[in-house]
Amino acid sequence: MRKIGSFFKDIAKNKVMLLMVLPGALWFLFFSYLPMLGTVIAFKQYRFHRDGFWASIVNSKWVGWDNFKFLFSTNDAFVITRNTLLYNLAFIFIGLVLSVLLAIVLSEIVNKRLAKIYQTGMFLPYFLSWVIVGYFAFSFLSSERGLLNQVFKGLGMDPIQWYADPKYWPFIIILVYLWKAVGYNSVVYLAAIMGIDRSLYEAAMIDGANKWQQIRRITVPMLAPIITIMTLLAVGKIFYADFGLFYQVPRNSGSLYAVTNVIDTYVYRGLKTTGEIGMSTAAGLYQSIVGFTLVMTSNYIVRKFDKDNALF
Amino acid sequence: MAQSAIKTRDFHHLSKPWNFIFNLIAGIFSFVCVFPFLFVVIISFTDEGVLARDGYRLLPAKWSLEAYKYVFQTGDTLLRSYGVTIFVTVVGTIISLLFIAFYAYAISRKSFKYRNFFSFFAFFTMLFNGGLVPTYIVTTQLLGLKDTIWALILPLAVNAFYIMILRTFYSTSVPDAILESGKIDGAGEFRIFLKLVLPLSLPGLATIGLFSTLGYWNDWFNALLYIDNPNLVPLQSMLMRIETSMQFIMQNSQNSSLSLEALRSMPQDTSRMAMVVLATGPIIFAYPFFQRYFIQGLTIGAVKE
Amino acid sequence: MAKQRKRFALVLASLMALTLVLSACGGGKASDNGAASGAGGSSDKPVELIWYTIGTPQKDVDRVMEEVNKYTKEKINATIKMKMIDFGDYTQKMQVMAASGEPMDILFTSSWAFDYVQNARKGAFMEIDELLDTHGKGIKEVLDPAFLEGSKVDGHNYAVPANKELPAQEVYRFNQELLDKYNLDISNVRSLESLEPLLKVIKENEPGITPYAIVNDHVPLMPFDYVIEKMPMAVYLDTKDYKVVNILETEEAKETLKTMRKFYQAGYISPEAATTTSVDDLYKSGKWFSDRAATQPLANNLWSASYGYPVTSTPAGDAYVYNWSVMGSMQAISANSKYPEKAMEFLNLLNTDPVLRNMIDSGIEGVHYEKVGDNVMRNLEESKNYDMPTFSLGNILITYLNENDPADKWEQFKEFNASGKNAPLLGFNFDATNVASEIAAVQNVKDEFWASLMTGTVDPEEYLPKANEKFKAAGLDKIIAEAQRQIDEWRAASNK
Repeated sequence: MRKIGSFFKDIAKNKVMLLMVLPGALWFLFFSYLPMLGTVIAFKQYRFHRDGFWASIVNSKWVGWDNFKFLFSTNDAFVITRNTLLYNLAFIFIGLVLSVLLAIVLSEIVNKRLAKIYQTGMFLPYFLSWVIVGYFAFSFLSSERGLLNQVFKGLGMDPIQWYADPKYWPFIIILVYLWKAVGYNSVVYLAAIMGIDRSLYEAAMIDGANKWQQIRRITVPMLAPIITIMTLLAVGKIFYADFGLFYQVPRNSGSLYAVTNVIDTYVYRGLKTTGEIGMSTAAGLYQSIVGFTLVMTSNYIVRKFDKDNALF
Repeated sequence: MAQSAIKTRDFHHLSKPWNFIFNLIAGIFSFVCVFPFLFVVIISFTDEGVLARDGYRLLPAKWSLEAYKYVFQTGDTLLRSYGVTIFVTVVGTIISLLFIAFYAYAISRKSFKYRNFFSFFAFFTMLFNGGLVPTYIVTTQLLGLKDTIWALILPLAVNAFYIMILRTFYSTSVPDAILESGKIDGAGEFRIFLKLVLPLSLPGLATIGLFSTLGYWNDWFNALLYIDNPNLVPLQSMLMRIETSMQFIMQNSQNSSLSLEALRSMPQDTSRMAMVVLATGPIIFAYPFFQRYFIQGLTIGAVKE
Repeated sequence: MAKQRKRFALVLASLMALTLVLSACGGGKASDNGAASGAGGSSDKPVELIWYTIGTPQKDVDRVMEEVNKYTKEKINATIKMKMIDFGDYTQKMQVMAASGEPMDILFTSSWAFDYVQNARKGAFMEIDELLDTHGKGIKEVLDPAFLEGSKVDGHNYAVPANKELPAQEVYRFNQELLDKYNLDISNVRSLESLEPLLKVIKENEPGITPYAIVNDHVPLMPFDYVIEKMPMAVYLDTKDYKVVNILETEEAKETLKTMRKFYQAGYISPEAATTTSVDDLYKSGKWFSDRAATQPLANNLWSASYGYPVTSTPAGDAYVYNWSVMGSMQAISANSKYPEKAMEFLNLLNTDPVLRNMIDSGIEGVHYEKVGDNVMRNLEESKNYDMPTFSLGNILITYLNENDPADKWEQFKEFNASGKNAPLLGFNFDATNVASEIAAVQNVKDEFWASLMTGTVDPEEYLPKANEKFKAAGLDKIIAEAQRQIDEWRAASNK
């Protein structure tokens, strides 16, 4: 009885905050948690039933872990896992360093009008779909009419069959990703820099700190929480790959699969003939669980060092 | 006036050579980003025949407006799509900012007993989702949003990623001391949030507002799923539909009736570039609205107010 | 933390309970509606049929349907609500809607969009064997029997095929201007090899022209009937024993791919063919000499008209009736339709009644088109607001001719249909359920090697063994064994 009493007291004490989370919590309930129940399809051989979705689920056959098998059955399983992981690690770390650097550079530029123009420019790639980005990559890399091979020809060098030779692609993929993402990501850091209390810099000036010391001692440490959060969140997505980047940009060239096949492209290619919802749900669940485990681990480590910077 | 205000605030100038180098770095990267876009614009004004013959050229042999004529032949459909997109973007961003700002603020407060639970409640949704079919069922059958404008707004209204970012902004840029001082003044939680917290976290809010605006503007998938009524189709969805259908038809060229059918109405390379220009143009002008909050930062005055 | 998680689990559990309650309510409500309106259907109130079909949504659909409804109300006491979904979105959207039990009555399905066999097996469509006899007699009369025979899935019909061109035939197409310029003769062209002397002339004299224009999904003609389109399991077209083979291990494939390799090295094929998805720019600029395409009666005229220069063609193989060519365009009745009889009555009318069929196809007479002869029409200015893909909407042999069509157009189609030989696997549809994971793995291997082998981009001597080894590792043999088993059963059941 007392327990329930204190529970209501807690609710009363936190009622304003609870009211604040209420709309968002309801949204999560309807748009995330309710659909999550559908994950059960991953263990079913899903067949339609005329009475709708629930009847379909109930009447579909249980197949245990069968739907997961295709992810692990061949040597490709190793290749796609390796590719997905390594690319994401590269994206997280190189992307982080460049975005933060860019944010600091932009924040320090004296002429704010110029800074604004630069920043608007950096944002544009975000608007181009991967299909269009693929076209541009092609206009550079096409073996006949591509810009790079034209230049090579001019210099008397042999042209390169870009879309047939895997060894260049790890670099190309990473470059294209950075080009598209860094401008967008740096906004977060730029905003964080702008949120830093100016009086900190004032105090440092009075202490005689120069620009570099200010950046090192104030800007970077003040960015640490947002950097930690962004990285933790990125770790959760480490088993997901941006489909368009790995499918459209290399023009789905088979010769490049050793370095461009990732989990998402593998699943797409594998399921296009059978269209089994159970198998695609299984793949998604696998990606989620690995991501979840990794975030929980990293979050645990972060908590050890600094409780405030952890996710929860 | 504005100029002088900026000068007095930037009391810690960068030295001239470093400023030059910083400008160079930002300028070059920015150019690399803008260049392809410039190309898009040029191609969209290139004559189709010349493009097929010469490939992409910075200075095409012949200019043409045909691509835009093709896109505009849909006439009022295009305008209505602009209307839908603008409505969805404006209303959606406002709703989304409200939901996210409140939620993130609550879980940023150490005094909130259930902050960890609600942090996890949000975070968990970033990793796990039920997939397309269950989401579709909840949205259409439970919430009854099919073929309504809300099907374009609500599914994107909240996003755990933004909540986590904004929570960090609150906890780093709003010092506890300010909250305490508010409490001492006897202000209620809502008053503290509106009068003290919101002004201080403007850069963060602007960031989330911008992301959310872009999210709504670029969204085509919800319309694909939920909208049958042609009067409710947003811009990106319309353009995406043309693009994917074209790719689909090309991939099925062995189907004689399909490919012969399509020969008549296939959009051309230049038209797709024109579509990119039309879809991106307006939103670029919305950008400065948010930008001023994270380029200039807050004036000290605003903080002390 | 542990406590936190426990509490979380508790909340999640109560959440699930809540959902079950909520969804039970939702589901119940839906079926209530169904019962109510179902009862209404039997009275005089006309039934509304929801019809999902493929194609770029047209502005005047609702306006035309208003006219259509006046007609159908009178004829079968039903009205039509047509919803168009564009080509690229159709498969995905229909899959989601079918899986979630969205109310619908008639849906377009085919071998190339919203896969007919796959979804029939998953239970998206209603079996219509009986309905065809009771409410669809007209369909059986007008349709070439091969259509219904060839579109059976496990012995049953699940959709009404459109009466249109039945077999598939491949042709080599040529740019007539170049043929004339070099005085080339195509009467001897039939095999890939026989194409070579012509390609050589063009390569030597026309440096800017692509002699043989192909894209990445090009598969050179080989004498196989594939178990799954563009997957390496197949039987020979002239098979007697119906043995399933891996085509990449056959002599025919080796020879053909060697020829493709020769073409590639000689520069007849673009060095980028393996990653090219479209050669539209070549067609537009006329900078191609030859290619291969699927034909149908009067195709030369259509090609020439749309490219703006003369195109001619010569057969590359015989006309065969394949499963996929039979299933080129069909209308199914949704498994959850509340008015299957009405839906079949409508499909019957659509396939037999020229008035309805042409209204659906060309719009309203006097607004979208005008008649200039008994069965000849001319499009009016307004037709741009109602431009439908004719082949996807049922029997095309009863649609009006355009002014410049020859009067015997549909006779030519009938002749063409009669000329087709049945492919050995016509009527057999592979059920991939038991080997779904192997299919996924094999599909990935296929995508890795297929395009570069088929376009001659890589040397088959080196890459065929590599590909076969990987195919084996991915489980191709298991799929072949399963296919063989199913085919043997099917033969036993159908006396092949």
